[in-house]
Amino acid sequence: MTVKEMAGALGWKLLAGEDGQDNEADGCYVGDLLSWVMGRAQAGNVWLTVMGNLNAIAVAALADTSCIVLCEDSALDADAKNRADMQGIPVYGCGPNLYDTAVQVHGLLK
Amino acid sequence: MRELSLNVMDIAQNSISAGASLITITVEEDEDLDELSISIGDNGRGMTPEQVEHVTDPFFTTRTTRSVGLGVPLFKMEAEMTGGRFSIESTLGAGTTTTAVFRPSSVDMIPLGDINGTVSMLVMMNPDLDFLYTRGYRPRGEERREFALDTRELRTVLGEDVPLNLPDVTGWVNDYLSENTSELLTKDTQEGATDI
Repeated sequence: MTVKEMAGALGWKLLAGEDGQDNEADGCYVGDLLSWVMGRAQAGNVWLTVMGNLNAIAVAALADTSCIVLCEDSALDADAKNRADMQGIPVYGCGPNLYDTAVQVHGLLK
Repeated sequence: MRELSLNVMDIAQNSISAGASLITITVEEDEDLDELSISIGDNGRGMTPEQVEHVTDPFFTTRTTRSVGLGVPLFKMEAEMTGGRFSIESTLGAGTTTTAVFRPSSVDMIPLGDINGTVSMLVMMNPDLDFLYTRGYRPRGEERREFALDTRELRTVLGEDVPLNLPDVTGWVNDYLSENTSELLTKDTQEGATDI
């Protein structure tokens, strides 16, 4: 399943990185401590977080996650949006919290 | 990072990569000011003003192995998340000093972690380099105190031909750091004070 298909199914709003929407979703990782995520998220993971800053985009690039999902309507910084667009890293926003979103992702990936 | 001491390790590695022969690590805690300051300085090759300007951008890196560098940006972010501040000063050909100031009372404060282990590891893994580690502490309402480990002094005592990564030397460094840290962080208790 692509992240675009997942976003459509779960009602996520695209915030940046449209060019990467065909990335395949492979697993899920939940975390806000960026250095922790950097060393543990796997390539292809759908990354659920509330951190919408430039460093988060760099972590996604480094870990090669399929997308970032900013839960609880957390904000995406302007410079982070620009960089996500440049890097083609899809960033979505959604209202539910990290747990509920993870459960929804699990339901689609199982 | 999950421990600030890991940031110290990361920034010190930058100093080593910059060709430093002396790395200065200062950890200073002031309870009255509610500040924990961590500073890493070196006498390496330094940076141009343009490099300094971009050093907190994770997509600006001199690494050739990957396209992002998160050590300095994360250090800055972690300090600022506590309400603290970050600065970096560098002179080309002279060296770089990176300073992050944290507010320990913040809910977003990350533990300092095993700073002694970090310093000991840096000394052990880089026996040809010198390190000056200073730990300062001012408990609430008390005088500031400090201790320091200076490998240049250690070489003077041991002799230049004794490598600093010998197990006996490493053991001594560990004991020195442990004992002095313990003594430093023990708060003075007024004689006759009543426990409550």
